[in-house]
Amino acid sequence: MLGIHSVASYLPRGRVDNLEQADRFDTESEFVEQKIGVGTLPRFEEADSVVSASVEAFHRLCEKTDIDKSEIECVVVCTQNPDNGGLPHNSALIHASLELPEDCACFDIGLGCSGYVYGLSIIQSFMSASGMKKGLFFTCDPYSRILNPDDKNTCLLFGDAASVTLISDTPYYKLTRAKFSTKGAGSAALKKTSQGLDMNGRAVFNFALQDVPKQINGTLSSAELNVDDIDLFLLHQGSRFMLENTIKRAGIPAEKAPIRLFETGNTVSSSIPLLLEEELDKSPRRVLMSGFGVGLSWATAIYEKVKLT
Amino acid sequence: MKREEAVKLVMSMLEKNVEGLEMSEDKMDETLVNIGVDSLDVMLVIMDVGEAAGVAISDDEAETLDTPKKIVDFISS
Repeated sequence: MLGIHSVASYLPRGRVDNLEQADRFDTESEFVEQKIGVGTLPRFEEADSVVSASVEAFHRLCEKTDIDKSEIECVVVCTQNPDNGGLPHNSALIHASLELPEDCACFDIGLGCSGYVYGLSIIQSFMSASGMKKGLFFTCDPYSRILNPDDKNTCLLFGDAASVTLISDTPYYKLTRAKFSTKGAGSAALKKTSQGLDMNGRAVFNFALQDVPKQINGTLSSAELNVDDIDLFLLHQGSRFMLENTIKRAGIPAEKAPIRLFETGNTVSSSIPLLLEEELDKSPRRVLMSGFGVGLSWATAIYEKVKLT
Repeated sequence: MKREEAVKLVMSMLEKNVEGLEMSEDKMDETLVNIGVDSLDVMLVIMDVGEAAGVAISDDEAETLDTPKKIVDFISS
């Protein structure tokens, strides 16, 4: 049985003061702090890259978990803003930086805010089918590379971060149920243009509040569980106002669903692992994760603590 | 939906979703911005009103609904 063993993350040292940005965009600080919910945004500096941030996340993982690099058989990276345009695939570059063995599968996957939930299922399925025991799943999607500096809708929102999750045959959490959905017809709501990232805030908002709660409740039903059976709900940290209302519409008690993006902003596929890293110390019995965004793509999964024998 | 019902619905959704807002008839022609409804509140109010009235409101249509009265007109037309 494969599952999540441990998680670590990395925030780059660069910071953008969101209240200063708010001034520039003639936006009230109260709106930025209370509605968007972001005070500071971590930002890649010139020397930072998907590879360097992922390697830093790996070093943090090594500080909390004994890892024998010779045992790593699989590296998967989730990003839509890879180094060198994704050629070579960034997982190969991370493989080189970490000096991993040649008998190691490496590939990238291109998903945004649903990427962590998708990626966990992808790497576990691939490893299971190939008889692998230890693998690393990285997320790092520096949206700062594609932000239009004149677009307040996105500049006030997105932060850069990286995470790594150790997938192991001695896991602490195993997957019990997952659901994946796509509304390709709505993909224009969040896209890259020649001017940079373009977001239709209303379309993304409607999607988050109308489609995501349905999937969360559908996943619970198919697992024959209800909200009371879940200790922790980790929803993609898009913006405070959107999260508060998505949580409310899904019927989730607010105290079970942390909103923590004041110092990170929306870190795309890294937002859920950033939360998970902090919350795993509390040993929740069942965790529901739900990621949603570009695509439009959304994914929900329930993980359960493995009973130690 | 009858107009009186639509007025009641729009006023109640505005009060429900916008902290501290007390609606009255004289505010129906004011712009949403002027009565203290920010851009995110507007999205939530339009969504809630559309769902409660059983009326689909497209993104383009929603953009034009910038006063309580225009929302009422839309769902009662």
